[in-house]
Amino acid sequence: MVQLLSSDNETFTVDKQVAERSILIKNMLEDVGESDAPIPLPNVTAKILKKVIDWCEHHRSDPVSQQEEVNDRKRLTEIDEWDQKFMEVDQETLFEIILAANYLDIKPLLDIGCKTVANMIKGKSPEEIRRTFNIVNDFTPEEEAQIRKENEWAEDR
Amino acid sequence: MLPSAHTPDRNNTPSPTHFGSAPSSASSSVTSLSSNVEMEKNLMLVDSSTASYAQNLPAEIIYSILKQITAMSDVYNCSLVCKTWCYLALEVLWFKPGFQSASTLALCSSLLRQEPSTLMFPYPSMIRRLNLSNLSSDIFDSTLSCLASCNRLERITLAGCTRLTDSGVLALLQNKVGQNLISVDLSDVVSVTDTAILAIAEKCPRLQGLNLSMCKDTHEHPESVQIHDESIVKIAEKCPALRRIKLSNCVHLTDRSAIALATHCKVLLEIDLMNCHLISNDALIAIFQHCSELREFRINQCRRILDTAFTQSALATKPPGFYHQLRILDLTNVNAITDQSVAVIVKAAPKIRNLILNKCDKITDESVFSICRLGRHLHYLHLGHCDKLTDRSIIQLAHQCMRIRYLDLACCIQLTDRAVMELAILPKLKRIGLVKCQNITDEAIFSLTNLSRMTNSLERVHLSYCTKLTVPSITHLVRSCHRLTHLSLTGVLPFLRRDFQRFCRPPPRDFNPQQRSAFCVFSGKGVRDLRNYFTRIRPLHNTMDDIPPSHVMPDFRQATMQSLQNDTIYMEIDGDGDVDGDGDGDGDGDGDNDMEDMEDV
Repeated sequence: MVQLLSSDNETFTVDKQVAERSILIKNMLEDVGESDAPIPLPNVTAKILKKVIDWCEHHRSDPVSQQEEVNDRKRLTEIDEWDQKFMEVDQETLFEIILAANYLDIKPLLDIGCKTVANMIKGKSPEEIRRTFNIVNDFTPEEEAQIRKENEWAEDR
Repeated sequence: MLPSAHTPDRNNTPSPTHFGSAPSSASSSVTSLSSNVEMEKNLMLVDSSTASYAQNLPAEIIYSILKQITAMSDVYNCSLVCKTWCYLALEVLWFKPGFQSASTLALCSSLLRQEPSTLMFPYPSMIRRLNLSNLSSDIFDSTLSCLASCNRLERITLAGCTRLTDSGVLALLQNKVGQNLISVDLSDVVSVTDTAILAIAEKCPRLQGLNLSMCKDTHEHPESVQIHDESIVKIAEKCPALRRIKLSNCVHLTDRSAIALATHCKVLLEIDLMNCHLISNDALIAIFQHCSELREFRINQCRRILDTAFTQSALATKPPGFYHQLRILDLTNVNAITDQSVAVIVKAAPKIRNLILNKCDKITDESVFSICRLGRHLHYLHLGHCDKLTDRSIIQLAHQCMRIRYLDLACCIQLTDRAVMELAILPKLKRIGLVKCQNITDEAIFSLTNLSRMTNSLERVHLSYCTKLTVPSITHLVRSCHRLTHLSLTGVLPFLRRDFQRFCRPPPRDFNPQQRSAFCVFSGKGVRDLRNYFTRIRPLHNTMDDIPPSHVMPDFRQATMQSLQNDTIYMEIDGDGDVDGDGDGDGDGDGDNDMEDMEDV
């Protein structure tokens, strides 16, 4: 078993196999060796860490993919049902899971998170995307026009 | 509150970095984004603390999200969202720009022709990969000259762009495009000559992959191929990182090319010399001597190669298992091969996955016993026309190479039902070719459907000219194997009736009427329709009983029978052309073009 300490000082006890879905933790364990001291994760809150651990539990025995190619091919496939449900959270939580997955180096979780956001973008106009994510348009009309013009080859047909 | 600093500790991620860093840099770091002078000059990034989560994400996360978007138009829309997203989205968009039509390509080309300082971003250097083969007939030398400033281009695919000439390739390489190129595909670009290949050798020191495969026509018109030893030797000398080279149908090449490649390119993984008929033993001896990493090796149709290329080369003298990387070996029609060679090959390369010995007709059961030692590594085995083989070895094969997925035994005329019954235990068999195995009877076909896992795996079954087969066994096969997508029964009399043939593919255009009448190949929808028809004309529990063929269109059947008896049924085929029209390109990915159905029959 491994102990993990969240940024808000909550301790989680998890199976080594589950914790090692995180390459960051896996490397730390390898560097430090067996130890009872909890591993501090100053970038992850208890709320998010719990979600991440849930995900790692469910995917504990997934094969670890090493090949970038494999990921490339997966890119076109759908997110499986369990993961879809898992990602049904508010936007703030979604982005925090993504950031945690990035920090903890859990590539499959990062991919699923990014895919979920990508799906939210699908088919939307720039203005709709801004509204969805509450983004301020900081282009001048001239800049926007030039970018449109220079990239019109990629526009929807 | 979002954690502000996320250390991107992904040093081993080979994913390209797009933030203006040098192409050799392995890590994608956020800081290099702001250090991109060109970018800052053109468009200042804002750091708005009031913006949303999405806007404040680290650049590499936004980039990861954008990379997951599949539709180009969606990425384009993202580039118009805000300044933070803009450059990242355009990096994704330009990394591997795709063009659906000549007009969109023209839009992009004209942009690339513009003075760089007038553009918002350094687009040419954002392009890393280009595949223009979908617009092959719209690609001209002038198209390539527009790309001369794409100095970070890594891969370019120009397969089938037959309007290109040497000057296009020279124009592409005139500046610094070659410095980062690792893969060039000029397959089927017949007008390319040694001049272009020499330029590639001079300008592309990092080249790892070169595809110069020419189409079959060029084999019949050797004067149209203009690639000679001179340029391939230069490639070998100047591109030591070369890993894959495809030269099929480059008919002028001799052992000189092969020896140069073997001696200079230490990490060669793939060599394709199909139809390079001047290749002989010296080439193979050099390749086996130097290329221990070889994974794919194709020397099909190189008929000058003798048995001694295997038995008296490093292949025989290196320790057993020395070529353990070898997965694919195609020796089609290298018909000097003997049992001794096959034994040497299997010993030296014990993990071969695909072994093609089609038309190596000297081999006997002894070879198959050697092949059995490949065990579970063997997935694909072609023994077509190896007519000395008997049930004895094929039965052992079935028991020792349980992972065979693809097996071709066309024209192994001694085989009987016993062999097929044993093959029926192969749990992963997807495709079986038994064309012209004329001893095969209905018993064999029934045995194929005995085990449910076989009926779950079989996809392609070739039974043309298995003249003893009748309707009941085929009915059972079609109805049991729900994944079946291809079934060939050309020349099998009971199927030459109109009610079945209406589901059959149209015969190839160049077939004469007699050939047309014997043609009987079902694929895709045809198989489904045939299955439905079988279901309609008789319920499943009756499959074992024959239905009098006279039940359906007796007159037609009689007429066909007569005409077939009067004429020669088997068609004469010249060479290896796609005579059966079976090359259906149904994309099942097993490299199975079904030519064997009628080849040489």
